[in-house]
Amino acid sequence: MANYGMAFDYKFCINCHACEVACKEENGIDLGAKNHRLWIQEDGNTSGDFWNLDKDKVQFMQMQCQECEEAPCLKACPNGAIYRDDNGIVRLHKNLCDLTMACMHACPYGARYVDEKRHVTDKCIFCADTRLARGETTTACQITCPAKLRYFGDLDDEKSEISQILKERKHFTLKSELGTKPKLFYLE
Amino acid sequence: MKVEISRRRFLQGSVAMSIVGASAVSATNIFASEHDSKKHVVGIPDTITTKTSTGKAEEVPFLCAICVNKCAGFARVEDGIITKLDPNPYFPKSRNMLCARGNAGIQTLYDPDRLKYPLVRIGERGDGKYKRVSWEEAYNAILNGTDKFKGILQILDEEKDNRSTIGYCNGEGLSKEGFEVLMGEKIGTPNYVDEISICLETVLGGFFSTWGTYGEADLNNADYLVIAGANRAEAIITPDTLDLFKRSKGRGLKTIVLDPRFTNTAIKADRWLAVNPGTDLAFVLAMTYVVFKEELYNKEFAKKHMEGIEEYKQHILSHNYTPEWAEKLTNISAKNIYKTAREFMAARSPIYYQGRRSVFSNNDFQLRRAMAIFQGLSGNMDKKGGIIYGEKLPLPKEDINAPIYGQALSRFDGKGIAIPSQKTGSWIQFRNMILEGTTPYPVRAMFMRKHNPMAGVPNTKKTEAFLKKMDLNVMIDILPSDTTMFCDVILPEASYLERTSPVASYGALEPAIVLRKAAVKPLYETKVPEQIYKELAEKLSKPLWENTLKYDEDVQDDTEGMSKKELAEYYKENGYDLAEPWEKSVTEQNEEKIVSTYGEKAWEILNERGVYYPHIEEYHKQININESEYYPENKKKYTTQGDKLKVKCNLTNLTKKGVDAMPTWSDDMQFKVPEGQFRLVTGRHAQFTQSGTTNNLMLRDLVPTNYLWINSRIAEEKNIAFGDTVEVKSSVGEVTIKAYPTEKIAPNQIFMLHGFGGSSAEMEIAHGNGANDAIIIEDKIEPVYGAAVMHDTNVEVRKV
Repeated sequence: MANYGMAFDYKFCINCHACEVACKEENGIDLGAKNHRLWIQEDGNTSGDFWNLDKDKVQFMQMQCQECEEAPCLKACPNGAIYRDDNGIVRLHKNLCDLTMACMHACPYGARYVDEKRHVTDKCIFCADTRLARGETTTACQITCPAKLRYFGDLDDEKSEISQILKERKHFTLKSELGTKPKLFYLE
Repeated sequence: MKVEISRRRFLQGSVAMSIVGASAVSATNIFASEHDSKKHVVGIPDTITTKTSTGKAEEVPFLCAICVNKCAGFARVEDGIITKLDPNPYFPKSRNMLCARGNAGIQTLYDPDRLKYPLVRIGERGDGKYKRVSWEEAYNAILNGTDKFKGILQILDEEKDNRSTIGYCNGEGLSKEGFEVLMGEKIGTPNYVDEISICLETVLGGFFSTWGTYGEADLNNADYLVIAGANRAEAIITPDTLDLFKRSKGRGLKTIVLDPRFTNTAIKADRWLAVNPGTDLAFVLAMTYVVFKEELYNKEFAKKHMEGIEEYKQHILSHNYTPEWAEKLTNISAKNIYKTAREFMAARSPIYYQGRRSVFSNNDFQLRRAMAIFQGLSGNMDKKGGIIYGEKLPLPKEDINAPIYGQALSRFDGKGIAIPSQKTGSWIQFRNMILEGTTPYPVRAMFMRKHNPMAGVPNTKKTEAFLKKMDLNVMIDILPSDTTMFCDVILPEASYLERTSPVASYGALEPAIVLRKAAVKPLYETKVPEQIYKELAEKLSKPLWENTLKYDEDVQDDTEGMSKKELAEYYKENGYDLAEPWEKSVTEQNEEKIVSTYGEKAWEILNERGVYYPHIEEYHKQININESEYYPENKKKYTTQGDKLKVKCNLTNLTKKGVDAMPTWSDDMQFKVPEGQFRLVTGRHAQFTQSGTTNNLMLRDLVPTNYLWINSRIAEEKNIAFGDTVEVKSSVGEVTIKAYPTEKIAPNQIFMLHGFGGSSAEMEIAHGNGANDAIIIEDKIEPVYGAAVMHDTNVEVRKV
């Protein structure tokens, strides 16, 4: 029993894609750019010409399921296939999913994709059926990251590293105006 | 692990069709995979990615070899299949991380295009026709040849046992030394070329001759960094990459990046200075001018440790290397040069980063010297936050009983080069002299391993002609590279995840010994390199000895009148038994080395953790679940040199060899691009290493091909849009490539990633995908070591 969340020192990211490959290898995700549980988004293009390049807006954002407390996908599924597990992670009853894709349309973060192997929608579940199921307490993306920018842990445990960091440091969530209450936090 | 999308089906479905000209797998193609979609093969996963299970698994320590950096990891092995590679938290150099390539190493292991069996050529060179043979047959073909090519015995007979008629080359890695022992020490040829002269030779030379080390930059504790010609966000080096980007952008390490291109490193920098290619030397000289003129340097350090400082000061000031002078040459404003020089010297712990590959311009040796001296002027050497000399944990060296061959002649490729390397030579000069027929004796065979000069050495056309000129080409490798396709005998090697390698010692600040253990057995009929060396040596040993007896007068004199038994003893005692260095297995040798130096317990720890250093059990502490402390602060090797430390400003002995004793600018170093042309710059990025990773399915998914960066306004003038095919042409060749118009590059320069555009039809992913930069880079060498100059080629670009 835990309430898992993740925090990102997002400014450390060098866009190396180690997280993406580790995730695919750990969780057996199909190749193909659109098949991904997580991805790095390049925000804020450069502007101006070479001699006067305005570069300060460029940044790399770690994107994946935001593990919303008020998860739109969970409410949207007409089959009741989406549920929250004991660790607070939004999961899927695979046998109930018949690819209505309502969850994909409902998700404001574009976090879901169609897993063509299993004929279900898929997304990041914090390695719940691989690493966490083995009793490990890290995710594949987290440990492989060269910048060590990902903090993963129990938000309900006051002593956990992630709880401490969120207490000490300023942070924000994505599209907070939607009221989805993500459990993924971006550290300033 | 059910059969879902098979490797081969995936290729047919989504890749092969998108690559124009990709060859169909023909019936005669014995490179092709055995495991198609219908068949399950033991030891090979059915799907490209495999989900890790919750069942039983073994965790085997390995050392990554997908690039040269050396990161440590654990391979998760389930039912004899590697399902995941995880980082190793015990290794201070890579600090519990694996990059995208490191994670994708599984795809190289299970690459369907791997070399699987020994092969012997039955067609013409380059046409891809080979016969699958046994190892014994392959070794016999090397010794005796076939109806298609001559064997080594005939060649050495014709050359009267001049061992130097055999050339060899080899790529970086833990098994490199063994190949050097076999070819250089035992078979006895001096004609060796490797990656050094197409990589960082001037960098090593410049820093070693000035500091006595290449050093390690303590980026964890520095507070000011100038980083030029090194793209650490995209060319990952540990621990540098790990330390740097946590601390740039106002977080303690002010970072100034010099790069002609706006790279990911530039994105993460506090200041980006777009320097003209090949003009960094003018920038450093001008900064040095400011420091001397304004007396900003650390005088106490200079007095104690810097030899020839007064002459150098005089040299810099009298040449008037002012920032205003450098501005015109470098494209960096005088204001920025003053500012950077002053900030650097005012900082507590400033570092002018050494960089690594490559030899960018003709003046690269002097550039590195100037950088090293400039660093010395700050006094930030051999201490926390500075350039670390550190320590390395010793490992015993094996004694090699190297025979002496009277008929072997010395190497020739040092001609006209100031300080030629006797060991690794100059690739370009070696190749070109052989091709032009200007060598003092013929070089007739090439023994190659893990090396792809068709993609790595500038001017591919010449490399191809060079390979075709040989009487015998032998290749030991894991994939059918462009170079492999010009070989007569191909020996398939086990990849780094299938072999236990000789133990290695790394690190300066936090030294450690690291072990690579085989995670799975060698696939197909591949063998570990040391076993190949041994078996090849056993096969060649006696016949080659007979040849020596036939021609070598010294040996004849020595052995005259000897009985059979005495002769056999002479053969053994004088090192003519070629296989003797491999009498013990790699594991036995490793155990001996570790136990004799560090004890039984060390060997136990090394086997379990993959890493050992004295007191590791006491020193290694986890800071959190993801990060560790490796040495306590007071045990780190920040300061090791004391009074021994010397920074040599004035190397007067170089003058005799025609090299400037002190870094000097000359007018021919100017950056010049004729109207309508572009300067070609190349580089790497974080999802590909070099040609060795271009067939990796996972990595191809991240970067489908290489593009030509061209300034967007110039592209518009030329009516070139994103994705258009363009031809890039230099004086030595032309390639076609897709365009990527961008403002991240100057109007008179273009850029492409190195390593693409493979010509080997046997590598389905790499074949014909993108452009091979080696085809168009002109084969120029710099004067000090004869190393390849990579960024001195002007090209034309047109839409096709």
